[in-house]
Amino acid sequence: MNRLHQLAINDEGFIFDPLTGENFTVNRTGLFIINRLKEGKKEEEILQELIDEFNVSREVAERDLIDFLEKLKSYRII
Amino acid sequence: MKLKIGISGINAVDNPGPGVGVAKSIKEDKELSAKIVGLSYDAMEPGNYMKWIIDKSYILPYPSADHNTYLNRLYYIRENYGLDFVMPVLDAELPLYLKYQKELEKNGIKTFLPTLEQFKLREKDKLEEVAKNIGIETPKSEVVNSYDELVKAVEKLGLPVMVKGVFYKAYRAYTVQEAVSFFNKIVAEWGYPVILQQVVSGEEMNVVAAGDGEGNSLGMIAIKKMWITELGKIWTGITIKNDNLLNSAKRFIEVYGWKGAFELECIVDLNNNKIYLIEINPRFPAWSYFSTGVGVNIASNIVRKAFDLPVKEYRDYPAGKLYIRYTDDFVVGIETFQKLITLGEN
Ligand SMILES: Nc1ncnc2c1ncn2[C@@H]1O[C@H](COP(=O)(O)OP(=O)(O)O)[C@@H](O)[C@H]1O
Ligand SMILES: [Mg+2]
Repeated sequence: MNRLHQLAINDEGFIFDPLTGENFTVNRTGLFIINRLKEGKKEEEILQELIDEFNVSREVAERDLIDFLEKLKSYRII
Repeated sequence: MKLKIGISGINAVDNPGPGVGVAKSIKEDKELSAKIVGLSYDAMEPGNYMKWIIDKSYILPYPSADHNTYLNRLYYIRENYGLDFVMPVLDAELPLYLKYQKELEKNGIKTFLPTLEQFKLREKDKLEEVAKNIGIETPKSEVVNSYDELVKAVEKLGLPVMVKGVFYKAYRAYTVQEAVSFFNKIVAEWGYPVILQQVVSGEEMNVVAAGDGEGNSLGMIAIKKMWITELGKIWTGITIKNDNLLNSAKRFIEVYGWKGAFELECIVDLNNNKIYLIEINPRFPAWSYFSTGVGVNIASNIVRKAFDLPVKEYRDYPAGKLYIRYTDDFVVGIETFQKLITLGEN
């Protein structure tokens, strides 16, 4: 089940799921990723944007992205 | 239209009755410009002193006592102050009001309640059938009438297991011994049968709604409990938009032609996308003002429907609104208390 499209996300990284009433917070990187996922961007695209935006190596960006996607999966958000 | 609306359950205490929230909702519908008549059972019920919500208060005899005495008290109120409608919100009152709803109406006091047959749906040994008819599930349950059946049921359902009365009380037992002791407790207090139920896990979500008796909704919202007291009462909650949950409440109204307010208590297992029906309360819950606060005034719609006034159509409400209950205090003179004690009204 993809719940991503329904999430209410604010600028500070507070996320509310109107279907379940669950809420959680994400950091700046997480917010950056989740907003792009919501826009329908592909992982490869997001990875490149992460590298550009945060000035990090491909390895670091990739690890962060994979970790975060795993988290989202464990919360059944994607 | 200056209606006089009687509301019970104005005991706004740590185990709050639903009355004050219902009264606030009706007061907020300015077009009704209703006067609220507090129907209490004890002079100390806080609603008796909350003059900004409850315009006039009466002490009533207990509904378990002689029914004629009870009805005569309502007729007395109607003659002396006015009483066009009564919204009973306490479980203990409902059987009486259901039984005499026609007689009350004949005597100029309207109600808006389910039929006796609809009322029976709340019995927990009927939940499985109801859930099936409205497209959700119930935890696996066994109805037991003896010690032997109890032991068999525990074997079947496993531990921990919920041990429940047909109407009230629910205990979680972790051992057979515990299950037996809860079983005995329930039998002593409420008699047979006892229900044993599989423990399900998930988020506790509730719906408050009302049906018009013709298959239509008079308004509904769904919420998730965020913080409950030791007594299990919601102290903070949040509105949610769970279509499966809301649709099952709609089906409940359609399939059974439910008339009046009700609450569905559910546990929603998000991992397996399952909704378990835990309890049907055939009345407003204590937190019903939450719906009014997000723009869905169910209580006033019930009154509107009862008096053939235009009913408001509520299509939507915002998710993510918080419900905050808090305690407050104030000081009054002794006169109110005196009058309630000596005259039974104020
Ligand atoms: N099968 C179950 N699995 C897990 N928790 C349950 C189950 N049944 C009830 N509960 C919990 O116990 C509470 C009270 O149960 P309920 O059937 O509503 O009895 P009561 O009549 O006391 O309100 C519920 O609100 C829920 O938190
Ligand atoms: Mg309950």
